[in-house]
Amino acid sequence: MSANNLFLKSAFVRAPLKNGVGRYVCQLQRIVFKFCKSNGASRGMRDFIEQDLVDFSKDNPGVVVYLKPRRHRGPVIVGEYLNGDRLWMSVHNKTHEEIVKWVELFRTQQGNNWNSRLRKYQYTNHPSVQGPWTPFTFKDPELNTAELPDVRFGSNNRLPATATEQLRLMFEKQKLDELKTAE
Amino acid sequence: MVFLSVINWARCRGPDEFWRKRRVFRLAAHYIGRRRNCYSIAVRNVHRALVYATKARKLKKEDMKSLWDVRITAACEQHNITLFSLREGLDRANIMLDRKSLSDLASWEPKTFEALAAVAKYKLETDRFIDGQDKCHPTGINLNLKDVMLEAWLNEKKK
Amino acid sequence: MSAAKRVQQWATFARSWHIFDCKWQDPYESAHVIKKYLMGMHKPIYHPMNDCGDVVVCINSREIALRGDEWRKRAYFHHTGYPGGASWTLAWELHNKDPTMIIKKAVYRAMTGNLQRRHTMQRLFIYPGENVPEDVLQNVTNQIRQIRYVPKRLDHIPEEEVKNYPKVMEYPEDFVVK
Repeated sequence: MSANNLFLKSAFVRAPLKNGVGRYVCQLQRIVFKFCKSNGASRGMRDFIEQDLVDFSKDNPGVVVYLKPRRHRGPVIVGEYLNGDRLWMSVHNKTHEEIVKWVELFRTQQGNNWNSRLRKYQYTNHPSVQGPWTPFTFKDPELNTAELPDVRFGSNNRLPATATEQLRLMFEKQKLDELKTAE
Repeated sequence: MVFLSVINWARCRGPDEFWRKRRVFRLAAHYIGRRRNCYSIAVRNVHRALVYATKARKLKKEDMKSLWDVRITAACEQHNITLFSLREGLDRANIMLDRKSLSDLASWEPKTFEALAAVAKYKLETDRFIDGQDKCHPTGINLNLKDVMLEAWLNEKKK
Repeated sequence: MSAAKRVQQWATFARSWHIFDCKWQDPYESAHVIKKYLMGMHKPIYHPMNDCGDVVVCINSREIALRGDEWRKRAYFHHTGYPGGASWTLAWELHNKDPTMIIKKAVYRAMTGNLQRRHTMQRLFIYPGENVPEDVLQNVTNQIRQIRYVPKRLDHIPEEEVKNYPKVMEYPEDFVVK
């Protein structure tokens, strides 16, 4: 058991203003790469900056990219989002490939949702096509006009036929036979 | 770590006391009073909570199962079929829906559930399956079974 | 939440009133049926923590039927809380004192004992006879079906219907009933 989720607030999966329906607005507004030019822990970060950073900023013209070299400090990524969230992450000793994946996550997510526990992994605005069940869905319309209590609605309707009813059935049968012989 | 002599082994203490206790205090962080502040009390409560959590993992599944059963039984009643025969009929018709999906359909898509109940009923009728568990308890719908039987029989004979 | 969804919510969780005729019914058997409606277990939206229970109006509770010789054998226990305060009342005695009590206790016992039980019981109305107050009856929109078949007494069937009913055989004219 991990104690991480004890004080997390719970939340549902939501997209702000139906983002992605019709048009998509990149929620990441600003990304800062902090690194050291000489320290080994920033090596992956330096590789990323050398190989992928230009392509990244070309592909995402809406995202402001800052580079902040600083001596003998650990490498850090900080993202700032449209809803005001600021996401700080240490990428100490992370390799080039890992950093590419983390940056992709920073770019695609909609804000800081790391501080909330998702109650469900799916969400819909329209949970029902046919309309959810109501007490009136399968109600017998005759009940609207019926004068209750009424034996017709109150007696058990699933009992097997009684002897009296079987007798009545026999009688009807006999009458039919008589009709047929008369013809 | 390899211990070549007993002396070295004896000198090797467990994990640092502070970190060991901190692990427990982290789990007791949401408690109130001495239960979260005093280690000897906290550890007892944390152990109990962990035991509860272990048992609850199974109980949660059982609770959900019984809740779904209640819901499906309620929905079945409106279509004059029992839970047992619904499941039997759907299995025979090769419709493999679990309790969760059935109860979701019953509340969110009631017409689909009605169709499923009709499928199950028709399948059991063609298979000539007799529901031995049916206690003949009344259902919500207006059947008038006996009149229906008599009328059906008479119609059949008169033709 | 939009206006349409709000109305949808009201419709789904609408509280309806049911009427149940206790005539010739076993109270302990029908308690399980009544309990189902009181707690909302007859709805596919049931959850023990959502308020989806309905109101049940029981009529004719004076005419319930107990099995075997339970009227004489079944005892209801009460304790006043003082020493020597225990008392046992037989079912027929209790029924004479209050004709609604047996069905009420049966429904109470059919439900699991939790904090909600007393509030759920508030939604149960029991009347010893056919007479139900008008303000209660006008809310009723559904009738709960009885479990047992209610036989009809011969002297309650119109004479014409009895005469016209098919017979297996006729008694001979000189037949004497001892």
